[in-house]
Amino acid sequence: MYAQNGSAFMADEDLLNTVLADLKRTVREYTTAATESNCPSVRRTFTDLTMDTLRLQGELYNQMSQLNMYTAPGKALRQDIDKQLQTAQQTQTKCQQFVQQKTGGAGAYAQAGNIQAHQPNVHSQNPYYM
Amino acid sequence: MHSAQMQPLSGKELEYIADSISNEDLLIKQLAATAGVTQNATVHQICLQQISSHTHHMNALIQLMQQHQQYAPTQPQ
Repeated sequence: MYAQNGSAFMADEDLLNTVLADLKRTVREYTTAATESNCPSVRRTFTDLTMDTLRLQGELYNQMSQLNMYTAPGKALRQDIDKQLQTAQQTQTKCQQFVQQKTGGAGAYAQAGNIQAHQPNVHSQNPYYM
Repeated sequence: MHSAQMQPLSGKELEYIADSISNEDLLIKQLAATAGVTQNATVHQICLQQISSHTHHMNALIQLMQQHQQYAPTQPQ
C-alpha cells in the first residue's frame, strides 16, 4: 500500500479525485456543446455523451464513497430548510400572480386547475415539477 | 443515421468535438496512470471499466467528424 511505498506518485484517493473533478468538468462541457449544436446528429451525440459521462461520474463517486475516499457533505439543518422553503413558497406565489396578471387568467396555465390545487402540499412525498 | 439530419459542421461544433476528444484523452491517460500505480485491485478494476467507456466516447467523437467530412465545403463560404 502507499504508506509502505515511498515511490508512489500520488495516493489512489488523490488520483481518483482528479479523475472525478475532470468528469464533472467534462459533463459541463458536453452540456454546453449540446446546447450550442446546430446539426441534429451532433446535438444527439453530445446529449448521449453528457448522459453517459454523468453516469460514469456518479458510478465513480459511489465507488469512492464505498472505499471511504470521499467524505459526504454535511447535512443541511432543519431550520435552514424551513427558511429556504418559506422563501421558495413566496417566490412561487408571486410568480403565479405575475403569470395571472400577464395572461389574464387565460391560456394553458389557468386551465391546469388540478396542478394549482396540489401546489401548496409541501409535505407530499410526490415530487412536484413545475 | 439519416442523412437528412446531417448538416455541415459549424466551426464551433468542430472546436467542441476537438476539445471533447482532448478531454477524453486526458481522462483515459489519468485512469491508465492510476491503474498502473495502484496496489488496490478494486481501484484497478474501476480504472479499467472507466477506460473502456471513455475509449467508446472518443470513438464516437471521431466517428462524428468522419460522418461530416463529406458535407464540409472545401472553400470558405
